[in-house]
Amino acid sequence: MSLPIEKIPTPKSERWKYTNLPRALKKLQLSPASLGWSGNVSLLNPHAPGAAVYGDTQLWDLNAQQSKDIQFVGSSEIIDINAKDGQLLSPRLIVQVKDNEELTLVENHSGHGAYWKNMVIQIVIGKNAKLRHYRIFDESEGGVCTIFTHAQIGRDSTYEAFNYTQGAGFVRNQIHAEIQGENAHCGLGGINLLGGKQHADTTITIEHQAPHCTSNQTYKSVLAGRSHGVFQGKVHVHQVAQKTDGYQLSNALILSPEAEMDTKPELEIYADDVKCSHGATTGMLDDAPLFYLRARGIPESAARALLIEAFCGQAVEVISDESMQENIRGKISQWLNNLT
Amino acid sequence: MIKIDNLKASIEDKEILKGLNLEIEPGKVHAIMGPNGSGKSTLSYILAGREDYDVTDGDIILNGESIMEMSPEERAAKGVFLAFQYPVEIPGVQMTTFMKTAVNSVRKARGQSELDAIDFLKLMKGKCKELGISDEMMKRAVNVGFSGGEKKRNEVLQMAMLEPKFCVLDETDSGLDIDALKIVADGVNKMRDGDRSFLVITHYQRLLDYIKPDVVHVMANGRIIKTGGPELAHELEEKGYADIVGAAA
Repeated sequence: MSLPIEKIPTPKSERWKYTNLPRALKKLQLSPASLGWSGNVSLLNPHAPGAAVYGDTQLWDLNAQQSKDIQFVGSSEIIDINAKDGQLLSPRLIVQVKDNEELTLVENHSGHGAYWKNMVIQIVIGKNAKLRHYRIFDESEGGVCTIFTHAQIGRDSTYEAFNYTQGAGFVRNQIHAEIQGENAHCGLGGINLLGGKQHADTTITIEHQAPHCTSNQTYKSVLAGRSHGVFQGKVHVHQVAQKTDGYQLSNALILSPEAEMDTKPELEIYADDVKCSHGATTGMLDDAPLFYLRARGIPESAARALLIEAFCGQAVEVISDESMQENIRGKISQWLNNLT
Repeated sequence: MIKIDNLKASIEDKEILKGLNLEIEPGKVHAIMGPNGSGKSTLSYILAGREDYDVTDGDIILNGESIMEMSPEERAAKGVFLAFQYPVEIPGVQMTTFMKTAVNSVRKARGQSELDAIDFLKLMKGKCKELGISDEMMKRAVNVGFSGGEKKRNEVLQMAMLEPKFCVLDETDSGLDIDALKIVADGVNKMRDGDRSFLVITHYQRLLDYIKPDVVHVMANGRIIKTGGPELAHELEEKGYADIVGAAA
């Protein structure tokens, strides 16, 4: 299949500055494929949100054109999305959390060979409701995965989303959350553990459109080998959104001189009574704690692992589901075991 | 037990230790006193294996074996323990996890069986009690939010847990009030036996009222310039360092 090149964003567009999707796709031989989901669900909103503001909706539109796999999620579910060599998948999830309901959605992403998953997730959370949304990337080295999540959050509701990236050839994890009702909360977090030539891009926009709402972003990246991490986080506080409390944190730990992290935090605030801040750091493991642990007999590799686990800990705490927390902690220590 | 032979070391081309000699017999407590900048802390870090220093000459022999080429963790397994002047805060690493990892790493390296969770907790709780360390403190992150006294008690706890053969106490008295000093000194004194050797590094004589040394050395300008009995510490306290350092220069 020849890819619709004109529909693929390039680093010339600002929101794709650090992530070169055409280059990642160039070497792939792809044909459209299906996961076998029934497509018998009407698209909630075929058009991309925020098109006018960000002009970054080509992949959404491409998904809408190609989409054969559409699934409606109205109760707690675990969904496995596995791609095979040579496939172009365009799955779409439509998630609805009704008023006064809670649900947990787990996405397990995996794949084999070289492929492109271009996924869209549309979420509508009603009033006084909660969605826990956990996404685990264990993609193949040759896999390209672009995901656009759009969430609308109603009054007194919570959207909690966590992504864990471990195996990944190339991942773009894009989240656009609109906080539309008062007293709502959007808590986003993620851990990217990258090695080899992996590339993981987290691009977030949070729109505060109602007063008395809170949002948190807590992202940790650990970069080994020649991997490349990208974090772009934007908090947009509309004029009506007084008493907004927004916090954004991105910390990257560089384990190798050839690894790279690009971070771009952005605050855009039009309301005058808000509390918003961000913190972004990129650095190496400190010598002093490492020496302290080693001086107590802990071998260097185990000491490093302890410190890296501690570094990730704050992001794990975003997860309110305890068994998922354990699951992620287990994955982190496994990744660290394989690192040395 | 421990023998430091003509140790020379520098950092960024500045020579700090200029041929230091010291020998401590099993079971003995030696004190090193000296003015600021004499190289005391450098000596303690080099003994523990910190790699920031360039050791240009000399050797450190522990029980007949050179530890010069050993990593910090290998030295710890062989029985070297440094109680830090400034214990490092490690956010996100819980005290209990840290302590269990350390104890079992050292046991493994010494060819002993690793402790299971129950035996470990029993051991730790016993030692904590002796040092007045609460269970709550062991649930916190390593040294994070600890007071000066808690940090130093924590160093002594680690020492007791790891059962070293040679302990270096680097300015353990700094930042302690008299009550905290007594607790810390009691903890150290309990560990004194016929085999374990101590090197107590201090600026002030005060600590040596509580941890009584067998031998006192005066260090200045990267060398030991005078050695004597416990009375030397009192002499220093009265006259200050200037006289002795001046006389040796």
